Amino acid sequence: MDFNRDIRPILSENCYYCHGQDANHRKADLRLDRREAALAEKAFVPGDAEASELVKRLFSTDPDEMMPPPDSHRTVTPEQKAKLKQWIAEGAGYQPHWAFMPPVRPLLPLVENNPWPRNQIDHFILHGLEAHQLAPSPEADRTTLLRRVTYDLTGLPPTPAEVGAFIADASPVAYEKVVDRLLASPAYGERMAIPWLDASRYADSNGFQQDGDTFQWVWRDWVVRALNSDMPFDQFGTWQLAGDLLPGATTDQKIATAFNRNHLLNGEGGAIAEEQRNVVLFDRVDVTSTVFLGLTMACAQCHDHKYDPMTQKDYYSLMAGFNNIPESGTPTFYSSRIRVGPPVVELSTPEYEKGMAKLQQQEAELKTAAGPEWESRRNALQKEWEDQLIAAGKPEEDNWKRLILDVREAPADKPNKYAAGRVRTEFDDRRLSAVAGHDDIKKIIAAQSALRTYKAEELPRVMVMEETQPRETHILSRGNYEQPLEKVGFAVPAFLPAMPAGAPANRLGLAQWLFSPDHPLTARVQVNRLWQLYFGTGLVKTAEDLGVQGEPPVHGDLLDWLAVEFRDRGWQLKPMHRLLVTSATYRQSSRSTPALRQLDPENRLLSRGPRFRLPAMFLRDTALAVSGLLQPEIGGRPVYPYQPEGIWDSLAITKERDFTYPLSSGPDLYRRSLYTFHRRTVGPANMFDASVRQACKVRPDLTNTPLHALTTLNDPTWVEASRVLAAKLLATPGDTASRLSEAFRRITIRTPRPEDLTRLETMLNRQRQYFDQHPDKATAFLKTGAAPQDATLAAPEHAAWTALCLGIFNLDESLTRE
Amino acid sequence: MNPFAENIRRVTRRQLFGHTATGLGAAALSSLLGGPAYGAAQAAGVSGFPNFPGKAKRVIYLWQGGGPSHIDLLDPKPTLERMAMQDIPESIRGTTRLSTMSSSNKKWPIVPAIKPFQKWGRSGTEISTLLPHLGSIADEITVVRSMNTEAVNHAPGVTFFLTGSQVPGRPSMGAWTTYGLGCETSDLPAFVVMTSSDRQKSCGQLFFDYYWGSGFLPSKYQGVRFRNTGDPVPYLNNPDGIDRAARRTLLDDIQAMNAAHLADYGDPETDTRIAQYEMAYRMQASVPDLTDLSREPQHILDLYGPDVKEKGSFANNCLMARKLIESGTRFVQLMHSGWDQHGNLHTQLEVQCRDTDQPSAGLVQDLQQRGLLDDTLVIWGGEFGRTPFGQGDPAKPNGRDHFGRAFSLWMAGGGVKKGHVHGATDEFGWNITEGKVHVHDHQATIMHLLGIDHTRLTHRYQGRQFRLTDVHGEVVKGVLA
Repeated sequence: MDFNRDIRPILSENCYYCHGQDANHRKADLRLDRREAALAEKAFVPGDAEASELVKRLFSTDPDEMMPPPDSHRTVTPEQKAKLKQWIAEGAGYQPHWAFMPPVRPLLPLVENNPWPRNQIDHFILHGLEAHQLAPSPEADRTTLLRRVTYDLTGLPPTPAEVGAFIADASPVAYEKVVDRLLASPAYGERMAIPWLDASRYADSNGFQQDGDTFQWVWRDWVVRALNSDMPFDQFGTWQLAGDLLPGATTDQKIATAFNRNHLLNGEGGAIAEEQRNVVLFDRVDVTSTVFLGLTMACAQCHDHKYDPMTQKDYYSLMAGFNNIPESGTPTFYSSRIRVGPPVVELSTPEYEKGMAKLQQQEAELKTAAGPEWESRRNALQKEWEDQLIAAGKPEEDNWKRLILDVREAPADKPNKYAAGRVRTEFDDRRLSAVAGHDDIKKIIAAQSALRTYKAEELPRVMVMEETQPRETHILSRGNYEQPLEKVGFAVPAFLPAMPAGAPANRLGLAQWLFSPDHPLTARVQVNRLWQLYFGTGLVKTAEDLGVQGEPPVHGDLLDWLAVEFRDRGWQLKPMHRLLVTSATYRQSSRSTPALRQLDPENRLLSRGPRFRLPAMFLRDTALAVSGLLQPEIGGRPVYPYQPEGIWDSLAITKERDFTYPLSSGPDLYRRSLYTFHRRTVGPANMFDASVRQACKVRPDLTNTPLHALTTLNDPTWVEASRVLAAKLLATPGDTASRLSEAFRRITIRTPRPEDLTRLETMLNRQRQYFDQHPDKATAFLKTGAAPQDATLAAPEHAAWTALCLGIFNLDESLTRE
Repeated sequence: MNPFAENIRRVTRRQLFGHTATGLGAAALSSLLGGPAYGAAQAAGVSGFPNFPGKAKRVIYLWQGGGPSHIDLLDPKPTLERMAMQDIPESIRGTTRLSTMSSSNKKWPIVPAIKPFQKWGRSGTEISTLLPHLGSIADEITVVRSMNTEAVNHAPGVTFFLTGSQVPGRPSMGAWTTYGLGCETSDLPAFVVMTSSDRQKSCGQLFFDYYWGSGFLPSKYQGVRFRNTGDPVPYLNNPDGIDRAARRTLLDDIQAMNAAHLADYGDPETDTRIAQYEMAYRMQASVPDLTDLSREPQHILDLYGPDVKEKGSFANNCLMARKLIESGTRFVQLMHSGWDQHGNLHTQLEVQCRDTDQPSAGLVQDLQQRGLLDDTLVIWGGEFGRTPFGQGDPAKPNGRDHFGRAFSLWMAGGGVKKGHVHGATDEFGWNITEGKVHVHDHQATIMHLLGIDHTRLTHRYQGRQFRLTDVHGEVVKGVLA
């Protein structure tokens, strides 16, 4: 019996809740997570299962005696009982949890099928297959492989030219050349950014009631740039956790720290700022521990972790590193649309300065024209309005009357600036317009307002970290910020290795610790997620949890080998991606047989290539790319492509701002999905299964529901792309068969077989029949989307080809990464 | 015929979906839309649920967002009349946590209920005269006067009620329910959400996706929101120019190619995709059927009041809720906002009652006459109540602030006592004196009524078993029939 593989999962699931490390919840003073403690309480007799209390309790049927007790709703299966018995008989040996021991590079296992492996990865996988009497699947055909690797590395399908070049390249390293080309493509950074944005719950708004827009897209662009330049992961992580603490921090290093400011921010009326600030702190600890440590620390917010050897003190000691930020917990109002919570980095650009100078000049000109007394004239008008309002005594003006009196009654040494500002704004924005004449003053006020709005909305302010407000951190009783207990200082969890000598006790020290060579988790967590990217499931399925309750790895030795390799290659990501996608394991066909499904139902042993539906963002980008609509521009402000009518209507209840969806026009309709504005309260409707960007997410969700079908069949994005592609097909010389073949090849990449062509022809002819009978419907169908229409084409024919393309976009093989 | 195709037909459901011995695989089948892709009449939930026969099979949650005032509506307090405009005594207030709008108050002027209460029906339950229609069904409902929450603000408060945690990201009650019990229809979503707000848009409460989210449960359990504008379900309608027959033709041709691909690759996911495309097609007919009220007789429409035909109104949503329940939807969550009277108590509360009272009571009556009330649980309530003291100018208070320490809601149908009042508060409506029902207790009770032991419906995520009620919750026996 192997403790980590066979025994700990049983004990952890069924026993540790009451007999684990959480002392406050421990029953009968017994803990089974440590051998000496279990022995001290005589839980078992090593080598003598029959004499062991644990075995007696386990096999007992007496409700008062049996373990786990009936009210725990936990059951140990007969096989598990047998394992525990055997383990005790073998001496009841314990091992430390595998993921908390530093990885050591294992030797490559010996395999029988020697020619198969292309690199080290394959030795491990083949060894596993051979142990289960399985053989690897043959290599996928060239087009399938090209399509797979192009999607995996860039999120886009290969172009017809790329397919042609690859098929024609007889070089033995033709595939490797493709991989290098893709890794060097700017689309690589865009594609690899997506899982990182999901993990760091990046969005373009704060969430909650006013859901103010933010400028965190500046950070998103930094991520794409950093990935494209293959910034080593230790640097990538360090900048994001502690860029502001690096000596002489650059603007980019400060922007990187927005990673820890991508949280929700609640500015609801009445929200208690300190409570919200603590919610943000918890979020930071959770995101940092999930993303970098692959541990879920949230349990330790309220009590010592029940499974992992993590205490409540560990949790708050880590939180102390995030607690010295000059932040309030709520966002600041910049304009009705923009709300961000300081600290921020302001990023001026030449365009911004130019726009600003122009508006300032306009204001100055208006002031000159109005003469030096304009301000005293304005003030006199405001006083006149105030006096009238007070005298009139209308109940609906009570609030303003109160504010005006507050300003007037405030002691001279303590002016009420807030009320004065509110009254002044109200007068300028809404009341002055009711006064006849004074056009010169009105123009100045309008110019000033334009200047303010410009500054609030056009000057990007990225929320970042700043270590300038030292605070005391306490353990909080059950996570309640109003019940502080013992004071703690910054520290890393005690059960993991100590901080490197000389590392500062702050976020920078945390980063140095994470990337110290003997750290057991950092590299394993990342390579596991790389694996998940290509094979659908990580070597540890629970990518968010490598702790005691996480699933043990299927190929622990391979995980360790990859972790050490990653670290030893200087945390460089592109070589790791290259290693994975050039393996024979990756290159297998994804065809399966009933026998393979029987023996390896979830394909965890990788007896075949992984097959899964493409993420919705890729599907949309595919429609744009294949039709030629895709705009390749990288980065910048978020865009607003087609969404269902009234997508944000449910938000319009608030009167504090306009929630009309500002549909883009022109090229911005066709940017990659990554750049679509992500409103945290209502995500884009056509990106099903995308992370909702409210909490950290490191494991993708790929469901199969009718809502997806409705999206790809009816969303104007797909209809328009089909129309544009159809027009292109009709504009190329050729007969129906060659055009059908071309349509199919563009979308699925594969060349159709004769039987495919027959079916495509049926599809086309039946659509032709419909549109020939209903030319008005053809015209209506072709109106979808803003792209210009080719008026030279006959509407029924164009519509039939459009429907055909839409049909091909909706084929299972188009939606799936084979 | 490709030999694979033969084999695929013989692959059992277990092999297709089940990877575990616990039967969780079966839940994969009870997808968002029930998913009886393989001809099963119903889609099962997690194996072993319900744990016992539940009195309720379905739930309609009439969510009243903003915090309806218990003082004015469901919990009569004569003492407040006598002590109008005096301060709430400090002995009563204690150290109650209040929102920042009131926490630094120096005055706590008592504002009595703005309209009188009245005893209704044989049970004599006291309910405000602002809610006469509710009064008329007083003998059918249980009023709970001892609700309690920790939340002081809307979003955390709603999130707490509907997901068991104040921080977004956990599965919602409807997601847990459909995860546990599956679905009884293959043409409609198992969990549907509809939203509405007061016409005056007087309070600005928003409804966020995570109020009906699936959290860490598979996303197919998330509620499907029927929208008030455009298509009720996004992308439900065919593109312009495509009629139903043309779509059918295209689908047939797509499915023929998918079947060929299934034979080639042998992945059961392809088979599921074929089924889901078919379901999408059926939904395109069944959802518009729901919104079509032309076959409802006038006397039924009258039950729901004058707004019933107005798309997006609370009344219209109530009628849709009945139709959904009739068609086999498991959990309907109507989200209505408009109860946040900080500064317009004397004008807006009455309007709010007028808009919601008749539809809520009408729904209960409609369910009852169809024999559906016995196994449908209806709940009416919001995230908290409102302060017994007034907000605004202390000399002339015109509103009430949020108040979670004690508040009220009502329940009807599916296993709940009729004509009953549960719990009580002190004479100021400030402290609970009897039968406290914490939010987690309320959730445990709803689960119990559905035949679910709330401690057993769990899902493993991030290394531990999560449940709706976290580690808390006691079933409130006092409300059970």
